[in-house]
Amino acid sequence: MADHFLFSVLLLVVFVGLISACTNPQVTSKSFTTQDATIVTHIGFISEFEVKCSSGDISSLYAELPDGSIIPAAVVGTNKYQVSWTEDTKTAAKGTHKIRIFEEDGYAALRKVLRGNEATSSVSEFFNISVVHPGAYSGPWLRSEFIAVIASLFVSYFAVTKKGKIVA
Amino acid sequence: MSKSQNKGFTKEEELLLQDFSRNVSTKSSALFYGNAFIVSAVPIWLFWRIHMMEIYSSLILFVVVTALSTYLLAIAYRNTKFTLKHKIAMKREDAVTRELLKKLSDDKKMSKKEKDERILWQKNEVADFEATTYSIFHNNAIFLTIVIVASFYILRSFSPSVNYTLSIGTASGLLALLSTGTK
Repeated sequence: MADHFLFSVLLLVVFVGLISACTNPQVTSKSFTTQDATIVTHIGFISEFEVKCSSGDISSLYAELPDGSIIPAAVVGTNKYQVSWTEDTKTAAKGTHKIRIFEEDGYAALRKVLRGNEATSSVSEFFNISVVHPGAYSGPWLRSEFIAVIASLFVSYFAVTKKGKIVA
Repeated sequence: MSKSQNKGFTKEEELLLQDFSRNVSTKSSALFYGNAFIVSAVPIWLFWRIHMMEIYSSLILFVVVTALSTYLLAIAYRNTKFTLKHKIAMKREDAVTRELLKKLSDDKKMSKKEKDERILWQKNEVADFEATTYSIFHNNAIFLTIVIVASFYILRSFSPSVNYTLSIGTASGLLALLSTGTK
């Protein structure tokens, strides 16, 4: 009797789990990155995305960052999530960063793969979001003091050669 | 003492001596010191606005370094002028003589000696003016170049006040030293 009851409960859990899984997610995302590299040492990346499921719900989401680390996505509203991280200005690549997002199941699979030291690319993601980094401004191409030095060297060269001509 | 020295020099001799004299007129001296002061004070702006030195707390340093630099630059101006003046006088001699003789050709009354004196005087004036202005230009250009290179590149890692003292001190000291050479 007890076995029968336990089996029923397990079946129910699996069934409920199947029902609640999000199907056919529609994702809209927007992203922002900081663009100054003159006085700060890191570039901040942030992406906010909204997920709409045809049916079912989402429990929690995890994001795989470009450096390979996996972080949970913050819940910021109904069906709204946020992922943010920083990268060193030297290593932050210009262009589109593809962030893979996983559900609970995917996350579990991912951890398993990581435990076995295998490539995470074998685990298929729930969906992707793109974060565009247009590149950071790290100051003018030619520094003003360099231009001042060149100009003054030019004038000094003229002055010295002229003096050489007079004295000679 | 010789006889001629007792009597003093003739006007022509004095003019000739002026050509080689290291002494400068008061007007020329004022020009030198005025210019040296302006050029020595200009880097204060650089260190105040670009290197972010506090102007009031560093006031004494600014005044002392500017005064020292003014003095050294004025020496450099004077020495450079002395080196150049005679050379310029020799280069301009022909042109000055030709021009003055053309101008004085109508004047029949003027004696040959007087004409020569006029030429000598004019030559002296031209060389003096040219040497003065050129000396100021030459020294200013090199001073500012050394200051910029030293403060932005060589002494970059030092604190602004050390950077200021060393860059201005080196620039003016080096110019004063180099100007004592004959070439």
